Amino acid sequence: MTQENSGQAGSEPLLAAWITWTMDFWDTMAQMGPGLGGTGRAGGQASRETVVSANPWLASLNLWQAFFSLLTEPGTVSAVFQGIQAPSKIILRMAQAGWGGYFYLHQQWLEAWQGNGSPSGKGGYENLDQDIYQICNEILEQDFHRLLNLPQLCLTGFPQERVNRATEKFSHFQAAMAEFIYLLYLPVKKSLRAMGGLGGLGRQGNPPEDFKEYYKRWLKILEGHYMTLFQSAEYIRTLTHTLYALEDFTTAKQELLSEAMAGLGLPSRREMDELYREIYLLKKSMKGLARKIDRIEASREEG
Amino acid sequence: MDRPKIPVDLILAKLAADAEAAKHRLERARDIFHGPLDTDIGTTPYELVYQEDRVRLKYYRPDAARLKTPLLLVHGLFNRETLLDLQPGRSVVQNLLKEGAEVYLIDWGSPTRRDQFLTLDDHINGYLDDIVEFIRRRHGVPQVNLMGVCLGGTFAVIYAALHPEKIRNLVTTAAPTLFNTPKGLLHIWMQEIDVDRLVDAFGNLPGNLVNAAFLLLNPPRLLLDKYLGFLENMDNKDFVENFIRMEKWIFDSPDVPGETLRQVVKDLYQENLLVQGKLRLGERRVDLRRLTMPLLNIYGQYDHLVPPEACEVLTARVGSRDTENLCLDTGHVGIYVSSRFQKETVPKIAAWLLAREG
Repeated sequence: MTQENSGQAGSEPLLAAWITWTMDFWDTMAQMGPGLGGTGRAGGQASRETVVSANPWLASLNLWQAFFSLLTEPGTVSAVFQGIQAPSKIILRMAQAGWGGYFYLHQQWLEAWQGNGSPSGKGGYENLDQDIYQICNEILEQDFHRLLNLPQLCLTGFPQERVNRATEKFSHFQAAMAEFIYLLYLPVKKSLRAMGGLGGLGRQGNPPEDFKEYYKRWLKILEGHYMTLFQSAEYIRTLTHTLYALEDFTTAKQELLSEAMAGLGLPSRREMDELYREIYLLKKSMKGLARKIDRIEASREEG
Repeated sequence: MDRPKIPVDLILAKLAADAEAAKHRLERARDIFHGPLDTDIGTTPYELVYQEDRVRLKYYRPDAARLKTPLLLVHGLFNRETLLDLQPGRSVVQNLLKEGAEVYLIDWGSPTRRDQFLTLDDHINGYLDDIVEFIRRRHGVPQVNLMGVCLGGTFAVIYAALHPEKIRNLVTTAAPTLFNTPKGLLHIWMQEIDVDRLVDAFGNLPGNLVNAAFLLLNPPRLLLDKYLGFLENMDNKDFVENFIRMEKWIFDSPDVPGETLRQVVKDLYQENLLVQGKLRLGERRVDLRRLTMPLLNIYGQYDHLVPPEACEVLTARVGSRDTENLCLDTGHVGIYVSSRFQKETVPKIAAWLLAREG
């Protein structure tokens, strides 16, 4: 502490002298600025354009001077030196903040995964069927989404973002597909339950004498459940959601592949599509012209 | 408390008998699968007479032509035209030839990414019109007979409304014209599809997505019952061959050009512009009242893809006075492959055309 104070006391006059000298220097420079020479200041011959262009220059110098004037204040100089002499503290605090943030995030992830001790976070295993896809989506949205959307830096940042995006969209598609397949399984579950109730192969019923007959009955019930499901808003919502997820994944995958193809010097899908469009339009225009020529020739022959 | 007695001995005896039968069936099936199988589709001999880009025109020559006006068959873009010539003895094309029709069949080919910008206008006023022109020139006739299948039927309706002077008679089979009906699952789902996202992501609609969508229309029948039926009959060679032919056709859906799909979904399924007389192709509006030629409109009563409600309205909206609705006691594909259609409906179509030869 004593050393710090003595160092500060020794440096202060030197800094003040340097700042004063700098202010004088910039004041001189301001006098020499465009259109601000002796004659310019006198306002005699400088053109209007020159004065206009010099205004920002003058304003900047004034600002610079004001900043340095402020630095010459004794309190400010002291604060500057305190800052200069405390790098080790800053680094330590930065490291602490970094580790703290990391552990906080880690703890949050763990809590989210554990879901307060139950798989669904709501009602335990009995609600697993109904809740599991919602939980998966929440985890994807809240955790993987954040993780995969962290800003990527430097040279490999852009390709890495593409990879992350494709990974995220693939995860979404998998989750949506799982939910969709589960929905498709529900009629099977319901029809089996209904057959149990009808006493076919139920534990308390008699075994069927004709298995084919039993199968036909089950199939009819199953079809009925599917028809009900397929017309439900829930099914259409899930189907649409799954289709969207597939489309998003396909787009993200194509973007990633295009990146790789560009690296290999191959034309990307988008480039090829543009070419196809040009060919399509050219062919269409050629065909239209050919038809016009045919019509003209036909009318000439008739005439 | 008495509990019901379970006849375990009977169950075991039945299981043993079933196992024995299954063993014999498997042995016979093994012989069938190891032997030669005829599973080719589209085998009726034809001549390739015209080609433009990916689109080809097949010509089937009858032994003796009874109909003076050639018949052009237009299939939809979502499946292959081979449905009309699926297997010997159950081929719409073969039966039309037997009736003395000169048959032309459009093969839309396999669209690639370069075809993604092709519109409905390019297909109907472009390829289809060029083909009609080609047939007219080739036969030296002013008009052709036009028969449309599924969405190809919708294409045929639009074409006939835009170029009535080139069409002598129009036959539509399972052709949707009223698209906003809530009866068919496909019609319901199409209302919710964001086709712009779909086309922007894929370019063309992938054929595999079309296949998956068709399977989802009835998973119990199409994913379970059908294959159980196959297991039960796999010792029957004819059954196996026909089953494999149908599988080949079902899972061979081509990609659908993106811009055409965009227009089909938006203008037809979602906006239902055709029957309102508001559909526009290129510079022209499609007015169904200009459809003045005789019209035979065939559809299936149990069609889950294109329900009767989507088809039957057509005859009431056209300008023609010679119209007939024919509702068959079958489903979508059954119209083309059922033995009843082959035996009764194809001769009826031929007779109907013959009566309007002029």
